[in-house]
Amino acid sequence: MGAGEGGLTLEASAADAAAPAPRRRRRPKLATPALLGLPVSWLAVFFLAPIAIVAAYSVDVLVLFPGPHGFTISAWRSLFSGTPYLHLFAKSMEMSLIVSVAVVLVAYPLAYYLALSGTRRKYILLLVLIAPFLTSYLLRVLAWKVILGDQGVINTFLFWTGLRSPDHPLSFLLYSRFAVMLVLGYVWLPFVALPIFVTLDTLDRGLLEAASDLYASRLQAFLRVTLPLSLPGVVAAFLFVFIPTVGEFVTPLLVGGTGGYMYGNQIVDLFGAGGFPDWETGSVLALFLLAVIATLTVVFVRYLRAGEARLA
Amino acid sequence: MEGEPFDRRLSRADMLRLAAAAAGVGVVAGPAAAADAAVKRLTQESGRLQVMDWAGYMNDGGQSMFKAYVHKYPNNKPQFTPMTNESDALTKIEKGAHPDLFRPYVGWVKYFAQSGLVQPWDPKLIPNFAHLNPNMVKAGQYQGKQYGIPDDWGFDAILYRKDKVHPKSRSWGLIFDDRYKGKITWFDDLEMITVAGMYLKAKNPWNQTQAELNRSVNFLKKKKHLVKFNWSSETELWQAFGAGDVWIAYAWPNDWVQMKQKHPVVYMHPSVGRQKPIAWVGMFMLLKGTPRPNLAHAYVNAWSSKASGQWLENNYGYGHANVEAKPSSSALLKALQLTNPKAVTLPNAYLDRNIPQSELYGHLWEQVKAA
Repeated sequence: MGAGEGGLTLEASAADAAAPAPRRRRRPKLATPALLGLPVSWLAVFFLAPIAIVAAYSVDVLVLFPGPHGFTISAWRSLFSGTPYLHLFAKSMEMSLIVSVAVVLVAYPLAYYLALSGTRRKYILLLVLIAPFLTSYLLRVLAWKVILGDQGVINTFLFWTGLRSPDHPLSFLLYSRFAVMLVLGYVWLPFVALPIFVTLDTLDRGLLEAASDLYASRLQAFLRVTLPLSLPGVVAAFLFVFIPTVGEFVTPLLVGGTGGYMYGNQIVDLFGAGGFPDWETGSVLALFLLAVIATLTVVFVRYLRAGEARLA
Repeated sequence: MEGEPFDRRLSRADMLRLAAAAAGVGVVAGPAAAADAAVKRLTQESGRLQVMDWAGYMNDGGQSMFKAYVHKYPNNKPQFTPMTNESDALTKIEKGAHPDLFRPYVGWVKYFAQSGLVQPWDPKLIPNFAHLNPNMVKAGQYQGKQYGIPDDWGFDAILYRKDKVHPKSRSWGLIFDDRYKGKITWFDDLEMITVAGMYLKAKNPWNQTQAELNRSVNFLKKKKHLVKFNWSSETELWQAFGAGDVWIAYAWPNDWVQMKQKHPVVYMHPSVGRQKPIAWVGMFMLLKGTPRPNLAHAYVNAWSSKASGQWLENNYGYGHANVEAKPSSSALLKALQLTNPKAVTLPNAYLDRNIPQSELYGHLWEQVKAA
């Protein structure tokens, strides 16, 4: 190849590049807003705007009943000054935490078996796991009433075996904190098992083999390789349960009774389902829940990233 | 016949205008405009009647009560929006629901009349109005105007299983009785503060002083651990009571009717000291500016008929404001004191009334539940 040819080629390349280059440069500029436009608008209209409206109700800028009103933080102040709502919030957090931890503990071995046992039927078993969730949520929760009631399946069995007298059934089984946590655990189990399963299923088996070659016991391999690598899935699964259950209200409404009454029920009642509509307090409670959950999510994500960085 | 005088007048006038307009079409512009106006008026009065009502009073079993209306106005059948209580109705209306009529209970008549959300009825357009219990009719008035048309009525009292429960006296104390921990259910409503006040001998349970309110609320918080759940729908109550999960309930007469088919039950009216059951009367209220006032009157007239009243009494175990309506069961007749025109007033019961501090009562009730 001569120098002249080379020069011509360079010129031609430069000319070729000169013509389409502006188009290439423009494309990403248009593509990004086009791609992000819809989700951002969706977020703005259906998430940020409603939050702004609720915030306006919480400080009395917007009110349910027409009449004199103006900016005030009295409802915010009363939340932190002796009302039982914070206590109820703590109770709901505690219940959600117990449910989330328990469900992760139950789901992990399940997902581990499905992902790493080498069974060829793992997807069939996975389908079996999620099969009940193809039926109505309400139906499944109501079915628990039949099982847990004073004359339900469990108590009837205990009467039949003579372990309990019909006059003294195990009455804590239904309309209680226990009932809410049990049903929530049941409802959320597949949502926990799936992300853990996905993490474990995509695990590089070579790492486990390497651990084995280096004389690590199965327990050591699990603790030093499998568990740390599956931690992102575990944390994601935990958040999947914890976030929605803190504000849960349907399950407590159906099986909770006075003992299983949760923070979410209080919010619903303040918005008009209970004694007298009090949107100001209801909005404060809703925003407080949102703020706490958002903070916890940020903390979890940071922890997760720090963990990933350590592993890297 | 319900609502007939007004409807006939309207129909004739509009039909005449329509006929005149049809004859003049293409000749002059005036008749066309008149026709437009007539059609507009008809259209406004047509369309489906929007009714906000409680479960059991809609197309979920209550059809017999408005059968006459549907028969007469097949093109204006009611379309229902459910309400779970007055607070729920108030929220829905304030936030854009536009029913033509809805049904709060007697304690809320003054509140809604003062709110500016409703307008008075014209009793002349309700032929069956003449047969309604005068005491209940009076309870539906505010400043001399008929804001509420009374229909169903009953009591807040105590239902219990006589094979399991042995009350010490005819008192509201049974729903606070420590012996039956976990077998009691309260009603999820601010009325619980009134009942607690009555039990604790507040001077006026509907308008308690701050000290009395503190006492009532603390008492409810203290006794809450005895309660299995607070019921907000009757089906929820029936399911739990029927299954044996609860034995004692703050209940309505219909609950007694339903539960006596499953268990030996007693519907007890408290009578110790100044304690009484609380009587409630359903009051149809007409929304201000409704586009279907005539249809609303016709609907209420159907509900107010003797036949509807009898059906309500026989099937739901509630009383009906039509004094001519009598149930076929003598037991029910006796239990509801249907032959007594003053069954809902003293000395038999306290007729439920306006709670001046309803917002505070509601707030305190929420705190009881949260505690």
